[in-house]
Parts: sequence; C-alpha cells; structure tokens
Amino acid sequence: MDIIVCLKMVPDTSETEVRVDSTGKNILKVRLINTTNEADNYALETALLLKEKHGGTVTLISLGAQNVDEVLKMGLAKGADRAIRLTDGLFETGDAWTRTYALYQAISKNKFDLILTGCIASDDGNSQIGPSLAALLNIPSAAYVTKVEMLDNTKAKIDRELEGGILERKEISLPAVLTIQTGINTPRYPSIIGIKRAGSKPLDVFDAAKLNIDPKIIESLTELQQMYNPKVEAKAQFISGSDDEISEKLATLIREKAGL
Amino acid sequence: MIAVLIEHREAQIKDISFEMLTLAHQIANTQKQEVSCIILSDKCQPFADAVKNYCHNIICVENDLLNNFNNQIYLPILEKIITETKPTLTMIGHTGFGTDLAPYLSTKLSMPLLTDIFDVELSPDRLLIRRQMYGGKITAEIISKKLPAMVTVRTGSFEKILTSSSAIKGLNANITNVSFDIDQSILEKSKFLEYGEVPTTGIDITKSDVLVAVGRGIKEQKNLAVIEKFAEDIGGTLACTRPIIDAGWLPKDRQVGSSGKTVKPKVYIALGISGAFQHISGMKSAETIIAVNKDAEAPIFSVAHFGVVGDLLKIVPMLANRIKELKG
Amino acid sequence: MGIITITKEIRDAIIELGGTDAYKCYQCGMCTALCPWFQVEKVSFLVNRIPHNVKLGNVMASEDKKVIEKEVEELFRCVGCDNCLEYCPRGVNIGDIVRAIRRILIDYEALPKTLKDITTKIYSSGNPQGDSADKRNNWAKKLNVPLYSPELEYAYFPCCIPAYDAQVKRVAESTTKILKATNSLFGVVKDDVWCCCEAIRNFGAEKIFQEIAKNNISALDKAKVKKMIVTSPHCYTTYKNEYPELGSTIEIIHTTQIFAQLITNRKLKPTKPVVKKVVYHDPCTLGRQNNIYDEPRSVLKSIPGLELVEFENFNRKDSMCCGAGSGGLWLDWQKGERMSDIRVKQAVDTGADILAVACPYCLIMFEDSVKTMNLNLEVKDISEILAESI
Ligand SMILES: Cc1cc2nc3c(=O)[nH]c(=O)nc-3n(C[C@H](O)[C@H](O)[C@H](O)COP(=O)(O)OP(=O)(O)OC[C@H]3O[C@@H](n4cnc5c(N)ncnc54)[C@H](O)[C@@H]3O)c2cc1C
Ligand code: SF4
Ligand code: SF4
Repeated sequence: MDIIVCLKMVPDTSETEVRVDSTGKNILKVRLINTTNEADNYALETALLLKEKHGGTVTLISLGAQNVDEVLKMGLAKGADRAIRLTDGLFETGDAWTRTYALYQAISKNKFDLILTGCIASDDGNSQIGPSLAALLNIPSAAYVTKVEMLDNTKAKIDRELEGGILERKEISLPAVLTIQTGINTPRYPSIIGIKRAGSKPLDVFDAAKLNIDPKIIESLTELQQMYNPKVEAKAQFISGSDDEISEKLATLIREKAGL
Repeated sequence: MIAVLIEHREAQIKDISFEMLTLAHQIANTQKQEVSCIILSDKCQPFADAVKNYCHNIICVENDLLNNFNNQIYLPILEKIITETKPTLTMIGHTGFGTDLAPYLSTKLSMPLLTDIFDVELSPDRLLIRRQMYGGKITAEIISKKLPAMVTVRTGSFEKILTSSSAIKGLNANITNVSFDIDQSILEKSKFLEYGEVPTTGIDITKSDVLVAVGRGIKEQKNLAVIEKFAEDIGGTLACTRPIIDAGWLPKDRQVGSSGKTVKPKVYIALGISGAFQHISGMKSAETIIAVNKDAEAPIFSVAHFGVVGDLLKIVPMLANRIKELKG
Repeated sequence: MGIITITKEIRDAIIELGGTDAYKCYQCGMCTALCPWFQVEKVSFLVNRIPHNVKLGNVMASEDKKVIEKEVEELFRCVGCDNCLEYCPRGVNIGDIVRAIRRILIDYEALPKTLKDITTKIYSSGNPQGDSADKRNNWAKKLNVPLYSPELEYAYFPCCIPAYDAQVKRVAESTTKILKATNSLFGVVKDDVWCCCEAIRNFGAEKIFQEIAKNNISALDKAKVKKMIVTSPHCYTTYKNEYPELGSTIEIIHTTQIFAQLITNRKLKPTKPVVKKVVYHDPCTLGRQNNIYDEPRSVLKSIPGLELVEFENFNRKDSMCCGAGSGGLWLDWQKGERMSDIRVKQAVDTGADILAVACPYCLIMFEDSVKTMNLNLEVKDISEILAESI
C-alpha cells in the first residue's frame, strides 16, 4: 500500500502567548519554535502503522521554505521512505485553496492508495485541505477519523468522530483521503539510527513552474484583513453570600457558560 | 438568498440548525434577502415543520438513502441545488458532518470557503467573517474575494432562533420538493455502517467542553460519587489533580497538568484544588474557570474568573440540586 | 544474533557531541549502585550500560517503536545529580554522556512532551511557567524592591519559580526581608534577564540554552551588574561554571553564602528562637557540584533554639537527589517511582520537624511528597527559617 502523508510545519503556540506583528496581518514569529502540526503527527503514525502491517511505502509532502525540511526529515527518521517539498512565493502567500491546489498538482503525479492529513492545523485551524484535496482528485474522503482498519486492498473501515461522544462508522473505498484526529494512536519517537539514515533518503523540491501550475489558478479566494488578540476576562470575581445563595448564583453562571 | 443546510441525526434536528438560522436572519435583514433551508432526509416533513416558521423557503430532497449522513451522497445533491438556486451565502455547521462535507463541496463548486466562523458581515459585494486562529489566541477578520461563498458556523456561537423574534414574525415557508436520482454506485465508494459510542475507557478530557476537576479537597473517595453525578448533570466530564490519580481514585487519563493533559474547555470547575503550577499550566487557557476552595489565598484564584471561598462538600450537593431545578 | 556489531554512525555522533567519557569506563558498575534510582525498588536503571552502549553505538538503534519508547524513558531518567561521578574510579561524567545523546534527540523532538513544552515556554517567555516575561518582577514591586542600578552593591535574581509561582514566592519574600533587615544595598535584576536554562541544557536543548544565556549575559552587562545573589543553586552553578565560557564575568553568590557572611560579619543576628529539630538537605547543584556544604549549616546553627540534625548516611557529598534535576521537575514519575518520596521518608526517620532546603526545586518536590504521603513534616527554605528568627 502506498500512502502519502501531508505534513505542515507550524509555530508551536500551544504553550505561549501569541502576538500580532506591525502589519496586523500576521503573528509575531520571533521566539516561537517550529514543529510538526500536532494532528499531522498522528496522521504520520497512522501511515507508519499501516505500512508495518501491510507493507508499501510512505511519502511525505509539505509546503514551504527550506526550514520545512526539518519536519520532513523527522518523518523520514521515523520511517517514511521519501519526501517532497513544494516551495514557491506563490504558495506561501496563498490561502487554503492555493495550498490545496499545489498539493493536488504534486500528488496527482504520484501513485497512491491513501492520502492522510491531520484533521486540523493548529495555526489557521481551517480543517479544509484534506477534503478539498479529495474533491480535486475526485476520490472519497472522511474527516476527523479516529480508527482505520483495512478490509482488503481496496476498502477500509473507519470511525469518524462526531459530537457528544458518538462515532460514525463507515466503509470507504481506496484511493481516499482521510483526515486524522489527534489521539488515534501514540506517535513514535524517531530512533537515532533513523535520524542518521534520514539524510540519505530522497527529498525532492518542486516549485510552481516545475509543477506546471498556472499562477492564475492558484490565486487566493480569501484574504486576511486583520488579526488581534481577543480580550480576556478580568481575574477572579468572588461570589459570596450564604451557601444557598452561592449555589444559586453558581448554578446560573454554569448554565450560562456551559450552555445547558 | 442565504441557504442553511439543516443538520440532523437519528431523526433529531441539531441545535446548530437553529443557531445558523439566527445568523442567517441577521444577515438577511440587512440585505433584504430571503432565507432558505435545505433538508436532505429519508423523511423531510418533521424537519420542515421544525423550521418552517423561521425561513422563507424550504428545499426538500427525500430519499431512503438519505436516512443517515453520508458526505458522498450529499455532495451531488447539494452541488445541483446550489448551482441552480445560487444562494449568495451557504451555511453549514462546523460539526462532524459539516467538516466532512463543506470543503469538498466548496471545492467542487469553486467557491470560497471560510470555516469555523463565529461572526459574519455581508454587504452586496463583500463578505467579512471573524474566526479564531492559533487555538483561540488570535481573532482574525477574513474577507471572501468573491461571492457566492460558503461558511461553516461554529456551534454555540449564536442563540437558537425563537418564534418571538420580530424579524421573522409570520413566516411560513414555501416548501419545494426536489427529486434526485442517487447513483447507487456511490455506496461502493462510501457507505454508512452505524453510529457507535466512544469507549468510556477512552474518555478524552481534552475534548470535553465542560470539565469538573477535583483535587485533594474532596477528602475521601466516597465524595467522588456526588461530584461525578453533578458533572453528568451539567454535561461535563470528571478530571482531577495528580494526588487523586496517586490515590487510585481516578485513572491517569483524567489528570490535568504539566504531566497530565492540557485542556481548554469552555468551562472548568476546580473543586478543592490548590493551584500548583504543574496543575495550572494544564488548564489556564480554559474560557471560564470557576474555583471553589475553602482557602481564600489558594493560588487557583489567581487564574480563576469566578471564585467561591467555601466548603465544596457543602456547596456541591446544593449546587447539584439547583442545577436539577434549573433543568426542570 | 549473538554477534555484537558496532553501529559507528551512532557512536560517532554521540562522541562528537560530548560523550567521550564513555571510553574511560571499565564497567565496574559503581555508578549503577550509587545512582539514586537504585534506591527506587520499582525501577531498574543500569547506568553502566550507558557508556557501554555508547561505545557500541547501541543507543536508540532499534526501529521498533516500543523499544525506542522505553529507551527514551530511560534516557530521561538521569537527573544529572553527579552522585555517580563523585565515586566513579575512572571519573566518567555520565551526565555529559547523557546530555550528548539528548542533544541528538531534541532536534527530532524525541523527548517527553512535557519537556518539549517547557522548552517552548522558556524560549518564548523566558520562564518554565510560560507566564509573560514582563510579570517576572511583580513579586518585587509589591515589596518595593528597587530595580538594580550600579550604585547598589548586589543584584538579586530569585529564579523563575519563586518569581512566578504563588506557592514558592515566599522564598523570594523572606530573602528580601533578610536583606532589607541588614540594610544590604540590593535591587532585583530587570525582567530582560530570563531563565538561566540549566535544566533545558541538561535535557539537551543546547541551541536555546546558548541563545538565552548570551542574552542574559548581555542584559546583565548592560545593567552593569557585578555581583549577583541567587536563590537557586541551579542558577548558581550555571552562572558560576557554564556562563563564563560564554563571556560572563559577574560574581555569583548563593543566598546561603550571603546569609552566612552577614551573620559572621555581625550585620545579622538571628534572635527569635525557632525551637525545632531541623534536617538539612544538600542540593546536588550546591553540594556535590560546588562544594558548598558549610554555609547553609552555619546559618541554621546560628538560629537560637534550633537543633540541626543530619541525614543518616545520605548527607553532604552523599546527599540524595530530590529528583528535579535535568527536567525531572516536570517529568512525572508514577507513585512509587519518586526519589523525593524516599528522601522525605529519610527526613522523617531523623525525627526532624522541618526539612530545610536551599533550592526551589527541592522545595517543590519535597512539599509534594509530604502532601501525597500525608507526612508530619514541614518543608522550608533556609531563608524562611532565618527570616522567622529576625
Ligand atoms: C514532577 C511533578 C509533576 C506534577 N504534575 C502534576 C500534574 O500534571 N497535575 C497536577 O494536578 N499536579 C501535578 N503535580 C502535583 C502538584 O505539585 C500538586 O501537588 C498538586 O497539583 C496538588 O493537588 P491538589 O490541588 O489536589 O491538592 P492540594 O494542593 O493539597 O490542595 C487541596 C486544596 O483543597 C482545598 N480544600 C480542602 N478541603 C476543602 C473543602 N472542604 N472545600 C473546598 N476546598 C477544600 C485546600 O484549601 C487546598 O487548596 C506534579 C508534581 C510534581 C513534583
Ligand atoms: S562507575 Fe565509572 S567506570 Fe564504573 S561502570 Fe560506572 S561509569 Fe564505568
Ligand atoms: S548523574 Fe545521578 S541520576 Fe544520572 S546516572 Fe549519575 S547518579 Fe544516576
């Protein structure tokens, strides 16, 4: 089975403050550490587990400048076979559509049975690329996948996460695009031997011209106007009174905030 | 026209449908546009009845194959409806269904898509939305460079629409039934099997909107039962500090903190938790933090939005009763 | 099978990053026996395998996910306490070898998630709590401690933990009380001096250590700091032994040193009796790593009414680590696997009322153990006990 995994490099902001730069259209990138998008790590692990079980290859693909190679090399160190990086000023200034189209052009030149992406990127939070890619490739897709089980070479049984602790179980034919939810497995650590060998695995770089992409087609459909930090609530407001009054006030508060 | 895709599961219409209708009317009013609902189901009538006083038009597609959601079956139908009726804006819930469908559909229609939005401004030639980025640490304003466009709407961002709302008084929608021949071969590509439940051992506290977290202040294991019941009543999940794990009262996957899970629920209720930094680092980004602690100096109050200084063993049972009353 | 082959590429990479000591080892096994993990029944941590495996290049050489997971867990067990180094007949610095291995791993994010998060927090906001850099001196503002300026004799850096953590800020407060009582001229360093990064260097984040350390040095330089008092022995050992390589020239003083000096010079006289039996725990970074054993004890002995006792066997250079070093403060070992649990038991066995510490890390670890084990023991920083007595 040949699997393609889309990886995105994102600034790790889960534990940090995020500030807006002077253009108001981007975040201040200083003092942030780049990392593999969390959900993509689970997608990669899903691919590696499938490869261990059913054989085949894992190809990584990512968009961005040369520093993105760090993410690709990590994937190679963990056991992927080869990597592709798409880089072009046009891609970097584009929106989800632009990036999807670039990925589509690169991917459609390859043989694959399955494409895996993370279900959401921790930076833009779009949750778009996976299913959009499937639409361009004209193959089925499933989003927020929490379990993948191969039935045979052409069919997989999957679980998708819905709201309220409910799963949707379905059968999907391959080739397909699955967007993988976090928590589906435990991503592995690369070994040192893997790290050492990653350097000799193929990593190909393509730009828009090499992919024969017409700049007109990939023009963004949306445009970011401005960004700001949402205002935060002031700190602890104490609720006082008799125990009875307190519980009444608390109940109202919980109802409002939890949307009972 | 503003189109709203009605979401339903197992014969129940989902709240997001009514929330989107509120938003749809907000926009439609300023634009003097009409609101249309799209219903795909094996039985459209109950859903049409549920929304007919909240919109101008209803488009129903009824087919046995539409008893459960299936993105691949929805796609050609919606593609056809949207192409023919040309709504300025199509709204889909940012839900398990919506995220599985909207990006695929918008791409097929070559339409801009803005996901997980919580605010919209529409003028004749411009659509501006607001959404969060970077895990909620940033709000972004984004415009669509062309219309028509599509959005997926964040759940809980709008009130559910009410009959009393003056904007929609007297509405009684026209219902149009559209027939559509579903190509059975789609089932080969994508077939719904069943709904299942997430196994309880696999409870993931990071995915819960409401967390009720307990610390050593609960004193004894037997006090856990009351709190568990309370958590259940408010639709929440039980979480805890490390000493509770050490005591073996709850499994490790319930631990919040630097060596447990990092959580970001809408509401985090901290009961008898002192607020050690290892704990705080795992929960300080919750939208609303409510802390109950008998010690007014407890560090947890430095991150809480609402605080109660008092005995949780007295307050929680009373609170649980209040909640029951409120839920009526 | 059965035949040992050497994986040269792995061996060479580790040697290059600082693991040369591996070649000195002759496998006597002393390190394994002296490692504090040896006292933790549940854990088998074979320290002497580390240099051996480095020589063979047999470190994270498997491609089996489970094996690698176990190895990573092992590799992050070493808390860098240097107990093994103290006794190794060949002077093998296991801490250095382990750090070299971790330096390879960290670039590929092969480290426990909590440590990765700490690195991110320190890199972006300068402290392991991830709080805003500009809140660093909030504690000092409340106490009207001035910012350091060159006419003051000392600059004071309380360590990130007392500066930001509500439960530990009492250490910075009592230190302030003591320094003020003796009319010492001191000011707190500006908030552009960040975490010393000792911990993250030890768990492998070398590049970030270098970057922040250089910033700290130039910030202190700009502020014209000559002498700096620190609460944490982790800051102490880093500024004293590692920053000079990067160009730092400031004199660094641990709080227990300045307290002892003030008492000797009669600028400070503890008068109020503290009628308690106290046992003092030598932090690895102050004791073994910097030979400061006497000052903390002399401070405690000067307090009227206080009876100072010693740990049986495990005192001074044989002190047992609290478990917080090299990232241990943020790694959560299961109950039954915690060094601090063993150490507080040892403290209780001495019959002491108070376990005195001289390090914020130890304070946190021991307080946590005392709490979870429901022991009748107080854990206090020396500054707190001293402040009570003046
Ligand atoms: C390496 C390491 C990693 C750690 N990781 C984590 C982690 O990931 N998560 C975590 O939570 N902890 C972690 N800890 C433990 C942490 O240091 C604290 O010990 C722990 O969070 C304290 O838990 P607590 O608040 O439940 O207990 P306590 O600190 O004992 O607090 C109990 C609180 O309950 C209040 N209380 C008592 N009775 C009542 C009552 N009747 N009504 C109301 N309030 C009452 C008290 O005033 C007190 O504030 C870690 C510790 C270490 C050393
Ligand atoms: S004590 Fe020193 S020489 Fe002996 S096994 Fe350990 S590292 Fe090797
Ligand atoms: S430095 Fe300390 S923890 Fe590390 S191996 Fe040596 S004795 Fe063990």
